[in-house]
Amino acid sequence: MRNVEFILNGKAVSLETSLSRRLLDVLREDFGLTGTKEGCGEGECGACVVFLDGELVNSCLVPMNSVIGKEVQTIEGLAQTKRYRIIEDAFVMAGAVQCGFCTPGMVMATEYLVRRYKHPTNEEIREGLSGNICRCTGYQTILEAVKRVFEEVEDL
Amino acid sequence: MIENIRPDSLEELLTYLDQGDYYVFAGGTDLMIRKRQWQGAERRFDKAIIYLSHLACLRGIIETETHYEIMACTTQNEVAQSAILPEYIKAPIAQMATPSIRNLATIGGNVVNDASVGDSIPVFFALDAEVVLRSVHGVRRLPIEHFIQGKYHTALQHNEILEKICIPKINYDGFFYRKTGLRKASILSKLSVYVLFKVGESSMEDIRVVVGAVNDVPIRSREAELQLLMNGDVASLVAAYKNRMAASDDKRSTKVYREEIACRLIDYYLREVM
Ligand SMILES: Cc1cc2nc3c(=O)[nH]c(=O)nc-3n(C[C@H](O)[C@H](O)[C@H](O)COP(=O)(O)OP(=O)(O)OC[C@H]3O[C@@H](n4cnc5c(N)ncnc54)[C@H](O)[C@@H]3O)c2cc1C
Ligand code: FES
Ligand code: FES
Repeated sequence: MRNVEFILNGKAVSLETSLSRRLLDVLREDFGLTGTKEGCGEGECGACVVFLDGELVNSCLVPMNSVIGKEVQTIEGLAQTKRYRIIEDAFVMAGAVQCGFCTPGMVMATEYLVRRYKHPTNEEIREGLSGNICRCTGYQTILEAVKRVFEEVEDL
Repeated sequence: MIENIRPDSLEELLTYLDQGDYYVFAGGTDLMIRKRQWQGAERRFDKAIIYLSHLACLRGIIETETHYEIMACTTQNEVAQSAILPEYIKAPIAQMATPSIRNLATIGGNVVNDASVGDSIPVFFALDAEVVLRSVHGVRRLPIEHFIQGKYHTALQHNEILEKICIPKINYDGFFYRKTGLRKASILSKLSVYVLFKVGESSMEDIRVVVGAVNDVPIRSREAELQLLMNGDVASLVAAYKNRMAASDDKRSTKVYREEIACRLIDYYLREVM
């Protein structure tokens, strides 16, 4: 056990934990941030993705060692931003949410696309979402939502 | 309770490794899965872990006059998006896993893990890369083909880490890379084919052909490459590679599919450029 300090959604936090504990468990159990989901627990589904120093990562594979001194943003942190509203609206308007389990991860992957591209091709959007699995929608409505985001986002 | 170690320096890391038995932990995208548990439970490792990816000296890409040097803990996305590296290195790495996995997974982890399906290894075979291994006792530099010894079996000693991968700079006109799997992203290869070529004044000057994920280690025949440069006979090269294939049936694919498709891809690519 050791004291681990990092920035979580803009606030400095610290906790006593072991270096090998998964960031996913710390977020959900110690901080009650249950927007980050556990689907597969092995890097395949993308339900657990968060930003670590601005890079999208699967929190089910990240040990707390990798978090020391870094900045973590979860879906709850993103939800405080203006751009989140645009993404949320686009997902609602496109009917891109059914059971909703994959949605936080899809929204985070969409935000990562927006940070990387101004005008992504269809292929780039598909690649950007390739680490996120949805068992309900069949993906078409999600792709449509992401395209809507890029139509709206230029205003920001 | 097992004490996991976060060394403050490379020297401290190497001293620990020399004195004990540890899991060396880079991005963890292989290790965390090998040690998976039920939901919410901490991954249980049967020996202590020593972390290395927080050490800045093990990250980054350096260009020298003769080589590209990729430090072991450089992530796959750092390689795929590098402003220094040429496209023939970046493109195959950009096809590995998914964007979020590539932000964690390291190049060194892919090489040391040495799965027969490790997608970076065929590329390093084609480029005559060398690995630099470091322990408290010094440095060893080995050609990748000597380092990779079999499925999950490398020449790494227990007290060593992979420090970097050195890739000689070469002048190339083009390359082909194709990996086949059950789907496009986030999939381990059924097989992969990588071809690099340089066209001279009047004929082909250099050509390199590597087949990944068919045998336990990538297939490259320098003799067949040389023959092809001399006689331009694509069919003979394909036959020579076919001869060395020893694929098996497993959950990802069958021997017949792997060998047949690998041969056809080599044949197709070479006829395009010869
Ligand atoms: C969803 C998913 C998709 C994937 N897709 C692909 C794919 O398309 N192609 C592919 O090839 N792989 C794929 N992988 C496997 C994995 O991502 C890669 O093998 C990755 O490069 C491993 O790197 P790492 O840093 O995460 O390794 P780790 O898990 O940290 O380590 C792997 C092994 O290497 C050792 N090691 C690591 N670094 C060093 C070092 N510097 N010195 C000594 N030993 C070291 C460790 O002790 C361990 O035995 C995938 C994995 C997941 C979870
Ligand atoms: S729970 Fe992390 S990728 Fe599925
Ligand atoms: S909406 Fe149910 S998994 Fe995507």
